[in-house]
Formats: sequence, C-alpha cells, structure tokens
Amino acid sequence: MELRVTERVSKIRWIFLPLGMCALVAVGTHAAADVVGDKVLFAVDRVDAFFDAIFSSWSVTAPLVDLVGLGERTFFARAVALAWELSADALLAIPVLGYDERAAADELTIARVLAKRRLSLRLVQPAAALLVSIAGAAAVARLLQGTLLHYPLIGGFVAATALFGLFLLLAPRAVFRSLEHASAQKTAIGLLGLAILGPLAIAAVASL
Amino acid sequence: MKPRLPLVELVLCALCLWAAWYHTPAGALVRTAGAWVFRTHTTARPLLAYYGAGTLVPPPEHALPLPGPVPPAQALAYGAFAVRADLGSPPAIASRLRSLAQTLHSEDAAALALFCGEETAHYAMEHAGSQPHLIDLARALPPSKTCVSQAAQALMLGGAYALAWPLPESVRITSPFGMREHPLLGGRRLHAGVDLGVMKGAPVRAVADGIVRRASTDGVNGRILVVDHGGGVVTSYCHNDELLVGDGDHVRRGQMIARSGNTGRSTGPHLHYQLDLGGEPVDPLRFRAQRPKTAVGASD
Repeated sequence: MELRVTERVSKIRWIFLPLGMCALVAVGTHAAADVVGDKVLFAVDRVDAFFDAIFSSWSVTAPLVDLVGLGERTFFARAVALAWELSADALLAIPVLGYDERAAADELTIARVLAKRRLSLRLVQPAAALLVSIAGAAAVARLLQGTLLHYPLIGGFVAATALFGLFLLLAPRAVFRSLEHASAQKTAIGLLGLAILGPLAIAAVASL
Repeated sequence: MKPRLPLVELVLCALCLWAAWYHTPAGALVRTAGAWVFRTHTTARPLLAYYGAGTLVPPPEHALPLPGPVPPAQALAYGAFAVRADLGSPPAIASRLRSLAQTLHSEDAAALALFCGEETAHYAMEHAGSQPHLIDLARALPPSKTCVSQAAQALMLGGAYALAWPLPESVRITSPFGMREHPLLGGRRLHAGVDLGVMKGAPVRAVADGIVRRASTDGVNGRILVVDHGGGVVTSYCHNDELLVGDGDHVRRGQMIARSGNTGRSTGPHLHYQLDLGGEPVDPLRFRAQRPKTAVGASD
C-alpha cells in the first residue's frame, strides 16, 4: 500500500519538484526584497532631494517639488522593491521550472564540471540562488513555526524538520538548476543582472 | 533512476507552494490573474501590502483629542484607545501596558501583546533580535494578522501624541494646516503643515528621538530636515537658516537640530513644521492638548 502511494507520488515528481523549488526561491526572494524595501526608501529620499534642488531652480518646474510628498516616496520605494523582487523572480525562480531530474551522482558531476569553468558573471545566478534558497527555507520554517506558535514543541520540531529537509532536498537542486541554466545561456546575465541579484543576495543573508 | 524520498519531497514542495501562494506578491499576482481568468473572487491583498509584515498602515481616520497634557509614557495608551475603544479607559490601558512592558522589556512588544495576546508577543520577542521594533516582531509572526496592523496604528498614534513641539509654546501659528489660498502662488492648495512665526536664528528642536532621513536644500522648502521617528511617524522642518544635523544622524528629543530662517519659497522668517503619519500629512495640532495661538505673519 505504502509502496503504491510512493510510486504514484514518484510519477508526478516531474511537476511538483520544479514547482516547489520555484516557490522556495520566490519565498526567499520576497524575504530579501522586504529587507531591501527599507533601504530603498532612504535611496528614494536622496534622489527626491536631488531632483527637488534642480526643479526648484525654475518657477516653471518648482510646482513639481510639491508633487512628490512623503506618501508618494513611500509608495515609490515599495514599488521599486516589488519590481526588484519580480525581476529577481524572472532571473532565478522561473528558470528553476525547467529542472529535469537526474541521478544525484550525475547532478553532482555535472555541477562540478560547470562550476570549474572560468569564473564569470555566470556564477552570479547560482550564487544568488543558493543564498535566496537558504533565505526561502528559513522563511518557510519561520512561517510554519509562527503558525504553530501556540504549540511551541510541535512548532519547533516541524520547523526544524522542514528547514533540514529544504536545505537537503530542494535548495541544492535549485542551485544546480540555476548553474545549469546560467551555463546554457548564450550570454551571461550582465551587469544589470548583477545589479539586481547582488544586493538581493546580500539582503537574503540579512533576512535570516 | 530511483526517486529520493518522494513523499517527503511532496510535503516540502507543498509547504513552499503554500508559503509562496499566500505570502508573496508573486503568489498574489498569480492568484489575481487566475481569479481574473476564471472570473472568481480572490483574497489576495494589493501587491505592495506584502511588504513591512503588515506594519505599514495608514493613519486611523479618527484620532481622539487629548483631554490635557499627557506624559509620553501614557501616549501609547491613548493611541491604543483610539484604535480599539473596547480595551478599556486610557488610564487602565496605560497601567496594563506598563506591566506588559516590564515583562516583555519593550514598548513595541507591549503594544503587540495588547492587541495579539501575551503568548504571541512572547513568541515574537524570542524570535526577533534584541530591542526589536514592531516590524521585527511582526516578521517573526505569520503574516496577515490584523492585530499587528492595529498595534502598528496604536504605536503610530501613540508616537504622534507623545511628540514635543519644535519651538517654544509661546510661538504663534501664522498659517494653520489645511486648504488655503496660497500666499505666493495663488489658488486653493493644501497647506500640509503649520507655519510658526519665529525670528531668524531661533533654535529648532527635534520633537522626538529619530533618524534624519533627509537634510537638503531646495528653492521651495529651503533648508529642510526630515526626521523619521519610527512607526510611520515622520516630521519635517522647512525654511531653516542652518541645519545642525546631517543625513542618517540619530537625534534625541529636544536636541537642537536647526536654526530657523527664511530660505526657500517664503514670505518671511518662519518654520514650516509638518507631521506625516503613515506617509500622509496630518494636522500636528490634532495630537496636542495645548494649541499655540494664531497670529498674522510670515508663511510659505
């Protein structure tokens, strides 16, 4: 009976595994973007001050200074964080959907070969995927524990188990797929991709 | 190829999908798109509401007028009462908050305990860093708890009630908050703060502890300081002659942060003092028991 269930579940791994990994990365990206959002607000304030100084120099453009108030700046900062998160999702989470599972030993061998190629911007995606997956695993565990906060022992056990399972079973595959995807691309993600993923990867660590 | 732990993987993937589906803007985007395609209802929140762990809230529509001068320690109780009147009278709430703050070692955690329960606040305190703000505590909790938003509103109002005044109480208001005929540009416009008629060089003091978010100069606001006091409470001080603090500086309540002046678009020496709650300008006098007298004078 148990075997039959396992066999049936195995047959649909090709769909739930990529979806789960994609979701793991998306959760990690959001955790990181939430941290970035606070910093973006300060950056938006600086940019607004810069433009206010320019626009206020002429009477024609002076009304533009009053156009953007604190509310607009806060809205804009959150919108930037959202755009940042969705861009990172496009670079990290969506490619994970193309995961095609192989034997663990084969995956490890391929990963070693791909990682040994000359150091380039191609490594940015897998490196970011690693940090974001860790942040995602921690966020999922935190959510579980928070949901079971009235049952601290059960919550702690479930969260620790989920964290361990995600680190062991999903995060490495997400990184492998990211490495595979980055290597298969004709061009590296470029400086724009680095600008999107670099700060987000650091924020992912800060979100832990 | 032999699958590895398929049932465990299925459960882990389901957990990740649950987390992404309900707790990320990307999930909300997919849910909204699905609801649009299938013409069904969705519970997805607006995309930007997924940031700040539910603590980024607009100010409550009604803020109770204070009966008299309130010590800063009691201000939060008035904020909590304004959000939920069924919690008891402000003095009773203040006493409860005091005891909660002693147990939890944090005013923010006490506010959280008041609205979400002590067990929840203890849990959040254990999982947030030392001296956490409400946003840190909320991040340790499962999202979409309405009680967190209520605690955020209470802290915001409490913060506003506790604010000091940037100039001596004797300084008169030359232009109040609200719609008015603009003295320089003409036409009816919102005056987003209050103008306080004061001579050039008068010391301007921070109304509460905070971080300087902006210290800059432009032709409209003159030399301007924007101070973030946390919890969605932000104050601005415009038309100064000299700024005494810079971007990112921490300021203390009562600290001299600028000297008033007549810079920018102004009809004479005065201080434009503005209070923003949750990103919206509000009348700072709504949160004060004492109201300075008004007089004809310089404005912007």
